Amino acid sequence: MRCNLKLENPPLTRNHRLFRTVAPTAVLAMLFAACSGGASSPAASQPPASQAPASQGASQAPGGSGSGGADLTKLIADAKAEGTLTTIALPHDWCNYGEAIDTFKSTYGLQVNELDPNAGSGDEVEAIKANKGSTGPQAPDVIDVGLSFGPSAKSEDLLMPYKVATWESIPTSAKDPDGAWYGDYYGVLSFEVNTAVIQNIPQDWADLLKPEYKGKVALAGDPRVSNQAIQAVYAAALANGGSLDNAQPGLDFFKKLNDSGNLVPVIATAATVASGETPITIRWTYNALSNRDTTAASGGPKIEVVVPKSGRFAGVYVQAISKYAPHPNAAKLWMEFLYSDEGQNIWLKGYCHPIRYEDLVKNNKVPQEQLSKLPDVTGAVFPSLDQLNTASKLITTKWNDTVGADIK
Amino acid sequence: MADATTVRDRGAVTAPRSPFGFGWSWLGLVPFFLFSAAFMFLPVSFLVFGSLQDSAGSMTLQNYRDLSRPDIVNAFANSIEISAITAIVGGLFGFLLAYAVILGGLPSFFRTSLMTFSGVASNFAGVPLALAFIFTFGQLGIMTVLLRGIGLDPYQHGFSLYNKVGLEVVYLYFQFPLMVLIIAPAIDGLRRDWREAAENLGASPREYWRRVALPILMPSILGATILLFGNAFGAQATAFQLTGGTIPIVTNVIGAQIRGDVLHNPGLGYAMAMGMVVIMAISISIYTVLQRRSERWLRS
Amino acid sequence: MRSWLQLRRRPVKGRTERGRQRARRWASLVFLIGVLYFVVPLIGTFLHSIRTRPDIFLAYRQVFADSKFLEGLRYSFVVGVITIVVSLAIIVPTAYWVRLKVPRLRPVVEFVTLMPFVIPPVVLVFGLIRIYSAKPLALTSTNFGSDLLLVAAYVVLSFPYMYRAVDVGLASMDVRVLTEAAQSLGAGWSRILLRVIFPNLRTSLLSGAFLTLAIVIGEYTIANFLARTQAFGPYLSLLGRNQPYQPAAVSLISFGLTWLAMGMIAFLGRSSRQRVQVAGAR
Repeated sequence: MRCNLKLENPPLTRNHRLFRTVAPTAVLAMLFAACSGGASSPAASQPPASQAPASQGASQAPGGSGSGGADLTKLIADAKAEGTLTTIALPHDWCNYGEAIDTFKSTYGLQVNELDPNAGSGDEVEAIKANKGSTGPQAPDVIDVGLSFGPSAKSEDLLMPYKVATWESIPTSAKDPDGAWYGDYYGVLSFEVNTAVIQNIPQDWADLLKPEYKGKVALAGDPRVSNQAIQAVYAAALANGGSLDNAQPGLDFFKKLNDSGNLVPVIATAATVASGETPITIRWTYNALSNRDTTAASGGPKIEVVVPKSGRFAGVYVQAISKYAPHPNAAKLWMEFLYSDEGQNIWLKGYCHPIRYEDLVKNNKVPQEQLSKLPDVTGAVFPSLDQLNTASKLITTKWNDTVGADIK
Repeated sequence: MADATTVRDRGAVTAPRSPFGFGWSWLGLVPFFLFSAAFMFLPVSFLVFGSLQDSAGSMTLQNYRDLSRPDIVNAFANSIEISAITAIVGGLFGFLLAYAVILGGLPSFFRTSLMTFSGVASNFAGVPLALAFIFTFGQLGIMTVLLRGIGLDPYQHGFSLYNKVGLEVVYLYFQFPLMVLIIAPAIDGLRRDWREAAENLGASPREYWRRVALPILMPSILGATILLFGNAFGAQATAFQLTGGTIPIVTNVIGAQIRGDVLHNPGLGYAMAMGMVVIMAISISIYTVLQRRSERWLRS
Repeated sequence: MRSWLQLRRRPVKGRTERGRQRARRWASLVFLIGVLYFVVPLIGTFLHSIRTRPDIFLAYRQVFADSKFLEGLRYSFVVGVITIVVSLAIIVPTAYWVRLKVPRLRPVVEFVTLMPFVIPPVVLVFGLIRIYSAKPLALTSTNFGSDLLLVAAYVVLSFPYMYRAVDVGLASMDVRVLTEAAQSLGAGWSRILLRVIFPNLRTSLLSGAFLTLAIVIGEYTIANFLARTQAFGPYLSLLGRNQPYQPAAVSLISFGLTWLAMGMIAFLGRSSRQRVQVAGAR
């Protein structure tokens, strides 16, 4: 009953109250417990700017054990009426999205229409823009993009704000206050090493410069194009006298790496690591660990993933719902699913640190065996949006001078 | 110069003159132009408008001014160089290959298999092609290891798969087959009796080639070469996978502006695409001039 | 032109025989070099794909385990054939007309056909979506409409290859003489095209068909963004680029299957009677 009254309050008051309850999880837990079974959200098809969490019981898996609120049930019903969700840029082996999609399909009986899994963040935003008038399967409902794309997409008015039930437990620095975009997972840059080719495994950034690694170090992308590669350069800066505000040492490091002949220009994939062409690759822990598993499953060489001692850089990706989504309810349900404990744990199985990691650990929601499989990333630093944008600008404009056309 | 003349027909009325100077015949091209407009020019028109906008959406010529930036000029230079070299080398050996299977006296089964193989290989580009060469000629590639085993390490002798030459070697994999497929009908069209007639008159094979076969084939060879040029010019994924963008080429720079994970200026990408259009137009003009000259011989 | 030939009268027979042998040896050498260049990288790919242990064909088994594999191939093959037909229907009359009636517009037509090289596929597909997703031409909202858009996009992509192949074929036959002869026998344009031009373009049409089919089967950017996820290209891209050995197996399998598809088209396009060479270049 209290919850109904809350929802009928004018938005302004509710916003203030929400801001003030960013406090301890205990308070939230009490709120959730008190509101179970009471809250009913207004018709989910309107884009609510600052709506209270749709389902108050969502600290458990939605639809799982019965105490999800009535609005979650309504959301499920609305989503089922829509029948399909259109996603984009979700490779199945990235953060275990394959399992996330399958579980979502089987739990709610919805179809998932997967557009280009290899699309870049720029493609995803362009897809929303091009499909503004379209209700066909080409229009993506939800996107998963690099951190800097959240605010820029919001400023182009492409996003539908939505706050999931577990909104409070998402760190403030990783979400948009209006709910337009929200961090989903993070990882740290690590070295993926093919131990059949490399006997002496590098432990830190400085090791990469050793002459024994001539022609053996590679990036998993082009720093002018891919998030993963650009943040590798940024991470190298942290380990070489730079800081979150100064990425230049990273460029200097890679210049040294290239001049000494250690850098191989090939874009590293699991195949090139396994074949030994790029035996030391710099990529996200979750991708490296997932590669390690698939290579082992195929009987390939043993891969070891090393988180460097210094220069631990965490990169965040963000989720958002498209303003022009043809299936807005399915999109919201997908978000609820991803941010529920179950969804976050699926990401964790894929070796990603889900954004609600601290919260989950505190409440003992993570199975111990999963916890032990995660790499140790203590000391990882998160850049702010401004720092990220400044560094990106520097790296992309200066990369050509650093690694010119004369590759050794 | 050849003008469009209506085919002389017994009793046919000559077509009325239209203001265009070559009759109403151009109407026969309308379906083609309509289709191109509907499914190519119109969808891409926003590319033209986009090139005149900056990231905020306001009109500007800055993107075109940026085209003179040294890194962008370098990208264009690289693209043109790589495309020209692979077009010429690809054209040469592709022609030899086609000639070998068609008129070289080899079993006809060789011809069919080469043609069908060329069909597949002509589009075997991008990541699979780059990986194939990495697995074979990379630092730990199978051939490299073999050669190293007999003491001939290619990487010690200056070869690298990851520089411009290496990239060109990889590009040839789809240039050769394209040339083979395109030039085959022209070689088919070389009548055997011409060769026999020339030999009867005492011409050596070289003279036959220089005076008879090559001039006949030249227009087709030119046409095929410009196709190869365009083919290499527009290629993107192969170079990207192989060299990670360290050899800047136009298509990759455009891709970085339009598609990447890092926010860039799509307007600049579109302006560069317009630059590519201009280069293709220039290439076509050069080709047309050469074409006309070579066809003049045939018409005399 | 006869003067230089008159200077070199030589006996014919022996020379021709020796010449033919020499030609065959040289042709075999060229062919061998070509085969080596093409096959060695494929062998490299194959050797990489069988590095899986303990089952060396594990990668191949994984690829074939997915039933969508054959469906994807079938769909793309059908789209490919339709694309070839539409492309031929547009390009052959156009190339013929340009040669015969409007040579002055030839550079313009060639420019248009070479434009697909310049347009990034992403730009094309997003442009198509923008225009054809709003009423009254809302093609993207129906499956059939999206398939139509896909075929249209592929026809555009095939223009450079199809036009050049047909143009070279037309150059190798005397179009003007053939047309005049047919007209003087009373044939109309459609009959000229169907009964005279097409049959003499057999090699060109096959080349063009091969090139187009290869493009359609291998293409995935446009198919992906048009949500044609049942096509072969998108299916391949979903297989996971970050598998160590599967991509090699996949590229070899698709290479082989596409080759087979080409073989089928070559078989369908074979001439049932001895090819009569009507005319070469003048």
